[in-house]
Amino acid sequence: MSQATLTRRQMLAASGCSFGQLALTGLLQKPVSAAPSNPLTPRQPHITPRAKRIIFLFMQGGPSHVDSFDYKPLLKKRDGETLPFDDARVIANTGKRGSQQLLKKPLWNFRQYGESGRWVSDLFPETARHSDKLCLVHSMHTEGVAHGPATLFLHCGSTNFVRPSMGAWINYGLGSENENLPGFVSICPSPGNGGARNYGSAFLPPVFQGTTMGTAGGPAADAKIRDLVNSRLSRRQQLKQFELLRSLNNGQLPANSSDAELEAVINSFELAWRMQSHAPDILDLSRETPATQALYGINEKPTDNFGRQCLMARRLSEAGVRFIQVTYGDGTPNPAWDQHSNMPKHADHARRVDKPIAGLLEDLNQRGLLEDTIVWWGAEFGRTPYAQNRGTGRDHNPNGFTVWLAGGGLKQGFAYGSTDEFGHVAVKNKMHMHDLHATLLHQLGIDHRQLTYRYSGRDFRLTDVHGEVAHGLFG
Amino acid sequence: MTKTPIALCLVATLLGWSVASAQEQKLSAQDAAFFEKKIRPILVAHCYSCHSAQALRTKKLRGGLQLDNRAALRKGGDSGAVIVPGKPKESLLVQALKYESLEMPPKGKLPPRVIADFQAWIARGALDPRRGTAVTSSKINLKQGRDHWAYQPLKRPLVPRLGGSSKASAIDAFLRRRLETARLQQVSQADRTTLVRRLYFDLLGLPPTPQQIQAFVEDESPGAYNRLVDRLLASPHFGERWGRHWLDVVRFAESITLRGFLFPEAWRYRDYVVGTLNDDRPFDRFIQEQIAGDLLPAKSLEDRQRNVVATTFLTLGNNNLEDQDKDKLRMDVVDEQLETISRGFLAQTVGCARCHDHKFDPIPTRDYYALAGILRNTKTLNHANVSKWIELPLPLPPDQANQFTKHQAAVAAVKARLKSLKGTTGSALAPLPPAQLPGIVMDDEQAMTTGIWMRSQFTKSYIGSGYQHDKNEQKGDKTARFRPRLPRDGEYEVRFAYTPGSNRSPAVPVTVIGADGSKTITINQKQTPAIDGRFVSLGRHRFQLNGPSEVFVTNAGTTGVVIIDAVQFLPADAVGKTTAKKTPRKKSSTSQKKQIRSLEQQLKELQKQAPSRPMYMSVEEENTIGDTRVHVRGNVHNLGAPAPRGFLQVIRMDYRPTFSGKESGRRELGQWIAHHDNPLPARVLANRVWHWLFGAGLVRTTDNFGTTGELPSHPKLLDYLATRLVEQNWSIKSLLREIVCTHTYQLSSHPSSTGMTRDPENRLFWRMNRRRLNAESLLDAILSISGRLRTQLGGPQIRTGTTTDYNYLHDSSRRAIYWPVLRNSLPELFRVFDFANPSMVTGRRENSSTTPQALFLMNNPWVLQQAEYAAGHLLDLQHLDDAQRIQLVVTATFGRPPTESEWASLLFFVGSENDDKTLRKQKWSQVIQALFGSIDFRYLR
Repeated sequence: MSQATLTRRQMLAASGCSFGQLALTGLLQKPVSAAPSNPLTPRQPHITPRAKRIIFLFMQGGPSHVDSFDYKPLLKKRDGETLPFDDARVIANTGKRGSQQLLKKPLWNFRQYGESGRWVSDLFPETARHSDKLCLVHSMHTEGVAHGPATLFLHCGSTNFVRPSMGAWINYGLGSENENLPGFVSICPSPGNGGARNYGSAFLPPVFQGTTMGTAGGPAADAKIRDLVNSRLSRRQQLKQFELLRSLNNGQLPANSSDAELEAVINSFELAWRMQSHAPDILDLSRETPATQALYGINEKPTDNFGRQCLMARRLSEAGVRFIQVTYGDGTPNPAWDQHSNMPKHADHARRVDKPIAGLLEDLNQRGLLEDTIVWWGAEFGRTPYAQNRGTGRDHNPNGFTVWLAGGGLKQGFAYGSTDEFGHVAVKNKMHMHDLHATLLHQLGIDHRQLTYRYSGRDFRLTDVHGEVAHGLFG
Repeated sequence: MTKTPIALCLVATLLGWSVASAQEQKLSAQDAAFFEKKIRPILVAHCYSCHSAQALRTKKLRGGLQLDNRAALRKGGDSGAVIVPGKPKESLLVQALKYESLEMPPKGKLPPRVIADFQAWIARGALDPRRGTAVTSSKINLKQGRDHWAYQPLKRPLVPRLGGSSKASAIDAFLRRRLETARLQQVSQADRTTLVRRLYFDLLGLPPTPQQIQAFVEDESPGAYNRLVDRLLASPHFGERWGRHWLDVVRFAESITLRGFLFPEAWRYRDYVVGTLNDDRPFDRFIQEQIAGDLLPAKSLEDRQRNVVATTFLTLGNNNLEDQDKDKLRMDVVDEQLETISRGFLAQTVGCARCHDHKFDPIPTRDYYALAGILRNTKTLNHANVSKWIELPLPLPPDQANQFTKHQAAVAAVKARLKSLKGTTGSALAPLPPAQLPGIVMDDEQAMTTGIWMRSQFTKSYIGSGYQHDKNEQKGDKTARFRPRLPRDGEYEVRFAYTPGSNRSPAVPVTVIGADGSKTITINQKQTPAIDGRFVSLGRHRFQLNGPSEVFVTNAGTTGVVIIDAVQFLPADAVGKTTAKKTPRKKSSTSQKKQIRSLEQQLKELQKQAPSRPMYMSVEEENTIGDTRVHVRGNVHNLGAPAPRGFLQVIRMDYRPTFSGKESGRRELGQWIAHHDNPLPARVLANRVWHWLFGAGLVRTTDNFGTTGELPSHPKLLDYLATRLVEQNWSIKSLLREIVCTHTYQLSSHPSSTGMTRDPENRLFWRMNRRRLNAESLLDAILSISGRLRTQLGGPQIRTGTTTDYNYLHDSSRRAIYWPVLRNSLPELFRVFDFANPSMVTGRRENSSTTPQALFLMNNPWVLQQAEYAAGHLLDLQHLDDAQRIQLVVTATFGRPPTESEWASLLFFVGSENDDKTLRKQKWSQVIQALFGSIDFRYLR
């Protein structure tokens, strides 16, 4: 088949993707003669959505939950004791349970904040002020002990197999609200630990993959969408050239029959022209007032970079992008928050992100955007409550850790689930990464069991055959 | 990850079944009350939602386990029985409740009191008043499954006889017969300008030059078309176009996403593929080489090189080398290979059967593990914290090979002398890959062992991925045999590697068995080995290829830990006379210091002149060869019934080899796939070729011939093509020649109104499909028009000095096939224009028209640069006026002269010939860039 852009119906038929019987019936009712549609045009969700978009603040490397949001008084009390733990790495390597580990107390004091009285450590004093907006999930657990597998699992729901990323699934499921912008943008993604796979589309059509802006560790001020600006021609010159191209292409359309595929090509140029006229404005942070910039810590030393990323995320979400990932990481193979030794280094990272995050929450709230935007803060895993090799750092902990969500119809000032008394293993209302995926999709109006794509003879989904929606999170 | 003790499960299965049948006794009132009060409510509240008939009906059943009636509970689930009546400790159910193996219920551990109730209940015999029957899932019916069209034996169909002029080729006859029944007619032939562009792009992936177009259009002699076809098929650029198609199928890439590791030797495989297509070597042979080239006999060194490089095919998966569960990683690698082999050659989705019987196709899980067993006998990675793929030295002519061995031996000798001069207390040694050592090196993993040896990486001076020790236990039970595959008869210096330590055994007996009998050497493993701090010499021994050759280690009679790390066999002539000897440790004198300095200088020189030994990516046979077992629900830690090595049972063939205990079975797998009785590969390939020429296969799901794939639009034509392929010795060129010479291939792509009404998708081929240039053709054509294209063949392309694939700067004027396929940094043009995802089998690329494509053509600096180069060339042709320039450049891009209106608008755009040079160049650059964005450039009509 040689259609370049397929109509929705053709696309569904050709690729054999099923979108749930209900949705499919709806789609089939569209007249066949409808103009060739952009595969990113917004789609009807399965269920009434509570949120329209997600901003994912990815804290690459795994910040320590017991030093930040998961308060464990007993850990402080029994600091320095040696106890047996089922360490995930030891188990994966040797199968041995109950290895002897040295408990290590949190390095930062915890305080209670807001009316909800949620505990947050002094690592995140600014974010803490928004405690009453947060929905903390303390019972996260996931798969993969090393960064590579766990990061892929976080983004794609699989530790090893090549699967579409969550943003691509959402883009495929819902399309973009703004035809001048992509539906899925990843700001400063890390090249490491799965790299392009973490925003890739795998077997979904490539149109659903994430559009990247910049790379981790690079200056956010330089993070741009590629090929959006012509470096050589003035706007007037380019307009003349564009008109020439338009006349050539119109002349090359078949004389007296409509041709969906070629019209789609022509359409792609029209869209591109509009996008290059509008998107640069959306991406231009200088249009914000100094007060707003200051809210994000822009033009201040430690917060400028991440502040710009967060403000960009707000502007994109305002413009209708469905899934925006903001990565706090660096260009090295060792992710930022990965303090196997030297836990105090957490403070440097926290200083760079805390104010921008608080600014983002504040700004979204002021603009009423927090109503239908979910902010998701989290990482591929947490860290152990005991010292790694009895040293000065903590090892990876996929068995229990915290993420927090805000906005999008989720409960506020709320804590869901818990880890054991030391913060090692999730025990109550356990939330597997698959469950979190299912829950987030649900808030966007997508039934994770119905969002499927047929590939290699079977229907795939983000949550494989797992995932339970945690209704307890909904307000 | 959860782990289930394997032995326990098996025991549980046996017991569970036998007791279940005996369970018909009457319950005492007390037992019944206990069940009703303590057990049933818990089951209902915490288990039924996933483990009941209701859950089965709503497709929520997990683990194949129902707990809502007695029979079902006794039967158990996918992991076997869940209770062993009377034995709570052995009951999986209790282990799961205690979160020891599985963790049930997943929402949170039940209180200890409840778990105690379950233990008590099972201890009393798990008495259960409930009735009902266990539902068994439906079994695959192979006999019925064989009725599916794709599994039918391949038979050459009769060519339909058409009325009227009977000049039609066989292929046209099949197509026209179908069109007749649909009362459709083919449109007229395409004109010659369209045909010549079509042929160039389809066969070479390159645009014809205006001269080539003219030459063909003006050649009205009979046979001009066929001569052009022959010329193009003979071009070395043919393999670049058609080889690239195959690289899509085999998920070819030159790096891995994880950590951006580069595959520096992957290009050899790419060149092998291009060469195979150019030489038109038979495809059945090509199949076998890629699966088992290393095991195939070779007539010449060239053959041998080709065979081994072919196996790179198995190693290209985008695996997660960091996975800490190495047993799982090993099976994930196997799964990836199986997926590539089955979809690539057979268009079967075998991967579905990893966790359960295939839901749609007649492929039972057992078949999956029969195939997996073969690949499990093949080592693709050396496991470590971050596992590593395998690179081996490329077979070379003896003189070249000697040069390397000699050099390596010289370096080793100098190092050894340095070492012994310096003493062994120097800096700590790092692990050393066997490939960096001369001679034949067998790592401990390649030894055949008895008893339990522990792997370790604690002392870092080991060879390969670690070493093993006997745990200082079970003295006399543990042995290791190193049996090398020596390249030739002769005398070898044998060396034994171990990591020393104070807890080691002072007297380990190591026996060398050679042509002259056996000799036992006793090694003190407390001492640092004399050679490089890694090896001790076991002396020189003579070996004959068909005689015994073995190094045997035992822990019998030893005290202290016994280590095995590696054994090295160095051809005696390569070692020279200066075998390292132990030098007693002394303080270095001034003369020694001098000697050390001179040796260090010598070493530096040697390393500077080091010839780098060509390597290739490949696999190795595992030490332990055997069958595997079914992995219950795909879990490597939950093994079920044995699955003897074999193939897909649904394909009925007479080929039934017995698998040896010495070889993986890959050789047999290759033979089975390429066997003339196997109907799939020829059908699959013929269909792929059709797809690559017409833009749509006869079966449009090119990688899926299963029941979830599409049916062939022309089953007989497909069988005709497949049988022709086999009869013509699996020649792809012959098949191509026959297809492109048909009337149908030469049809115009203009639609007819009846055609559009009755068959809008053109499944019946009443016209040629209009097709878009793929990413490579787009790139090659732009480079060709800009005059920058360099057309040499092959060779490594990743810029030297590159360490990871992150943010790689692509800058090449070679054809697109030579642009490095880096998984984290694909060339932007590839990403935007639907290049195949290099991590998955792709027989059919996406075909999208997106905004990023338009933006790329409008603004990308590379495009702007190429347009400017082209403008420069065009303006340099001073004998032409602007009208002629337009004629030339439009013909070069569109493959046809400009239309009147194109001519007019382009001429108007470029303005006056008297404008200044800069302005002229800018305008012409803009014109050419606009041509690059035009439909008639981007599409083949």
